[in-house]
Amino acid sequence: MTTPLLEELAPAGPRRPRPIARRSAALGLLALAVFALVGPLVLADPAAQDLGRYLESPSLAEPLGRDDYGRSVLARLAHATRLSLVLAALCVATALVLGTAAGIASAWLGGWVDAALRAVSEAFVAIPALLVVLLVSALASGGSLWALYLGLALAQWVEYFRVVRARASLVLGSPAVEAAGLLRLGPVHIIRQHLWPDLRPLLTTLASLGMVTSILAMSTLGFVKVGLQPPRAELGLMITDAFPFYDVAPWMVIAPIGVLFLLTVCFLGLRTSKDA
Amino acid sequence: MRSRRTGLAVVLARRSAQGLGVAVLVSLLCFLVVRRLPGDAAYRIAAGRYGYDLVDQEAADAVRDELGLDRPAWQQLGSWLADALQLDFGRSLVTSRPVLDEVGYYLVGTLQLAAASLALAILLGGAVGVLAARRPGGVLDRIATGWVAGVRAVPPFLLGLLLVVVFSAQLGLLPAVGHGSASSIVLPALTLGVSLSGLIARVTRDAVVEVGQSDYVRFAHTKGLAERWVLLRHVVRNAAVVLVPYLGVQAVILIEGVVVVESLFAWQGLGHALVHAVFWRDVPVLQATALALALLIVTINTLVDLAVLWLDPRPRRLEAPA
Amino acid sequence: MTETARSPHRTDHLLSVPKAIVRHGSHTLADVADLRIEPGRALTIVGESGSGKSVLAHALMGTLPTELTAEGSMSIGPTRFDLADRRGRRHLWGRELALLPQEPSLALDPTMRVRQQVAEGAYGWRPRDAAALRLADERLDHFGLANAGSAYPHTLSGGMAQRVAYAAATIGGASILIVDEPSKGLDANALELLARLLDDHLAQGGLLLMITHDLRLARRIGGTVMVMRAATVVESGPAEEVLTTPAHDYTRQLVAADPANWSFPWMRRATASASGAEPGVPALVSAHSIAKTYGDRTLFNDVDIEIRAGERWAITGPSGVGKTTLGNVLLRLTSADRGTVVHAPGTGDGRLQKLYQDPGLSFPRRVSLQRALRDVMRRYEVPEARVHALLAKVGLSPSILQRRPTEVSGGELQRIAIVRAMLPRPALLFADEATSRLDLASQQATMDILMSELDEIGCALLMVTHDRAMASAVADRQLSLEVQP
Repeated sequence: MTTPLLEELAPAGPRRPRPIARRSAALGLLALAVFALVGPLVLADPAAQDLGRYLESPSLAEPLGRDDYGRSVLARLAHATRLSLVLAALCVATALVLGTAAGIASAWLGGWVDAALRAVSEAFVAIPALLVVLLVSALASGGSLWALYLGLALAQWVEYFRVVRARASLVLGSPAVEAAGLLRLGPVHIIRQHLWPDLRPLLTTLASLGMVTSILAMSTLGFVKVGLQPPRAELGLMITDAFPFYDVAPWMVIAPIGVLFLLTVCFLGLRTSKDA
Repeated sequence: MRSRRTGLAVVLARRSAQGLGVAVLVSLLCFLVVRRLPGDAAYRIAAGRYGYDLVDQEAADAVRDELGLDRPAWQQLGSWLADALQLDFGRSLVTSRPVLDEVGYYLVGTLQLAAASLALAILLGGAVGVLAARRPGGVLDRIATGWVAGVRAVPPFLLGLLLVVVFSAQLGLLPAVGHGSASSIVLPALTLGVSLSGLIARVTRDAVVEVGQSDYVRFAHTKGLAERWVLLRHVVRNAAVVLVPYLGVQAVILIEGVVVVESLFAWQGLGHALVHAVFWRDVPVLQATALALALLIVTINTLVDLAVLWLDPRPRRLEAPA
Repeated sequence: MTETARSPHRTDHLLSVPKAIVRHGSHTLADVADLRIEPGRALTIVGESGSGKSVLAHALMGTLPTELTAEGSMSIGPTRFDLADRRGRRHLWGRELALLPQEPSLALDPTMRVRQQVAEGAYGWRPRDAAALRLADERLDHFGLANAGSAYPHTLSGGMAQRVAYAAATIGGASILIVDEPSKGLDANALELLARLLDDHLAQGGLLLMITHDLRLARRIGGTVMVMRAATVVESGPAEEVLTTPAHDYTRQLVAADPANWSFPWMRRATASASGAEPGVPALVSAHSIAKTYGDRTLFNDVDIEIRAGERWAITGPSGVGKTTLGNVLLRLTSADRGTVVHAPGTGDGRLQKLYQDPGLSFPRRVSLQRALRDVMRRYEVPEARVHALLAKVGLSPSILQRRPTEVSGGELQRIAIVRAMLPRPALLFADEATSRLDLASQQATMDILMSELDEIGCALLMVTHDRAMASAVADRQLSLEVQP
């Protein structure tokens, strides 16, 4: 952009990826994943009610206490975390595969394929993810995991499509690919040495942001009561349900908020580039 | 000037096509909702209309009849889309009032909230961004980076809850829910404004830093132009060229936030109505509110495109984000 | 308002710099003593990039990046300024001390009309200053840009943008003018127009400090020449003397690196039979009445060209005229609007190759050079020994292939690109401004390597360049493109 007065002294920006931050984010995620995957196997039944132990305070046996139905908050939290992580990963994987394939096809083939895909994406782009999920969950009978999955994946593929299409057109139009064409190196070389190495860091960033978006969207939907339905343990639902008790039993509301916050911060810390 | 006029035509044509595509997509989804409406949903609509005590199978069948589920699918879809494009949404299945009237009423509430939040977000984000840009890598810049990350990690509904706890429940300063008094907009607008300010702060910061290091700003200095004129004539305008398109991207996040915050604070707007319509399977209201929200995004993006066209004379491939 | 429109004030002051040192941390970028600029006589500093010449100019102006520190002092007439104090000279900017920046097209605000940008340089400018706008129109008119006032910078050619920047820099009436690398991206005509402006400035008793790597421009402006290398001055004196009979080895190298002074075994200037196609040799590429338009601009029309084996062609012309597009059409990388381009049979299998202006963009960005070359070696069944032999010929060690393209200098990368292009044993190589981003010395070395290699395997050359001297040094056939009306 600016004329380099000192090409050899390009100043290091203040936003270099910090390896320590990335490593701790990865560690934090690993801990959360272990909690989500192992927790439900070893902890008590999250649905088991015991009204006699209404709002019991945290103790050694029950580190996060019990909720207004006497259910174990820790066990419910483990189930909710597993649900969030697994569903979000499924949504992100679906959207990523769909969007990346469509984006590369659009950039590579051009012509009517590009025109058609772009027209569809233009319509999707103006519809917020939340709206798509709302409409899809209205389609299902309510509280269905399928609706949530479909809605979130459908709402997110556009992001991958647009980013991948833009970057892939840039790469495919670059002198490097032109040179590869003159050298008759074929499409495999272009995908393996040009496209994939260039897209990979972008996709990593988009995928970690997508996890955040999915997890937050799920909890938001639970919160506005059109997502998953009680008694299923879900982070947003847990926050809503616990909210009326925030001054008598603060652990109930702090626990899911803490997990939600940790999940977002860790995924945000995992990004490779500095995109928002 | 010829290029600007063609630019205008391109923007309007592109956004109209997008609006049309959005309308068709939303209508299609709503049509699928109706097609798949299970028996108990018809029952629920009837219950919503007549009250749970008075509803019977007959009333439920009447509802199904009203939605015309006995014709062939393609015919239904055709007339459905035609109706939607003529803005003929019929009456609410729950309140029996014309849907267009209801949407008009809710639209005002949403516009109020959206405008207040956006203004707040631009003020707050712009200020944080400009302050951070004064010394890249300095203390303020780091604080701003923390702010941006923190805001990104807290979903609007949580932020709203926290604000309610602090200002309403603990301090008793502001009303938590409702739509009556002037002060009732403060908490919803604050929630949404703070949520949006993060990205705006980041983009402002990066834009101001980049423009400040550009050749034309340095040249403006060595021409002998005073600092404040360099800022007003060159930095602000060129930073806006970068920032304004991001507001278009923000439109989607803004509308998403509107839906959540309206539900949280029971603010009488399109999002609130939409969530209720989903809950009651009130398809006409569902379709109209979803359409209104999506078209609002297209409208904001059209305004953004026009602003960019006015700010930046360079020809471009009109491939602005969102 | 008479103040605004005053004529440039001329003084008999001279600018002297007893000592100037610029550092980045502990690294010294420029260390110069006893520099004097007199009215009416230019001081030109020549040298390659990284020699410290631009850094020195910015130290005098007071516009160094904040990471760099300056020491020393300078005097304008009786007034002394401390170079370490950045703020101390700000009040001189535009009125006493003006800078014509590098890359003028980037130095103009893309969102503002040209007239406004020139006017705001006027002395005592304030918003809606009618006198300043009038003065701006006058100056633009004087520079032959009468119609450009209401234009936006993106509509200007490189030469026009530079004259606009010149008008904006000098409208405040500064007597001391610093010109930083003015020849970047300019064709010969635009450069001559600029040189005349600088002549005028000197004739009116102005002071001029010019930074350039272009020896022809330095010779054209005359005055005193200082040669810088690795932060210090190696030689200085009158331009004719230093640039024709250099005393220092380094200056001799620089002068010899000018294509006009080249002498290599592969050159066949004298032997070239400039007219008529040799009948026995088949055409590799033949184009008949090809035409291409870009938007509403015609790049070329009715061009006929036949490139035969072993020939050396150069396409020359001013920047933006469509030279590269013509080359790409001949290689069928871009399609022509009209006409036909035929490639000889047997040229399909990678026997037409291309070198790019920016070699960094011609390799996959994020993988090592080794990985990028491996597929080429596999495709053409080239043994590793041959790649290593070629690398040795261009003066590189095989270990450089471990790195990514961004970790290798432009000159080295272009040599690796040459190696890559040689692997399919090409019949025709299209070199698109392949050395225009390199220093004179490494341009000379790279062209020598390239041409020796082509000579050895009998490969034809199609070269695109804005540099007519290089075209006549290298090519035996030339096609000159002119701006179409």
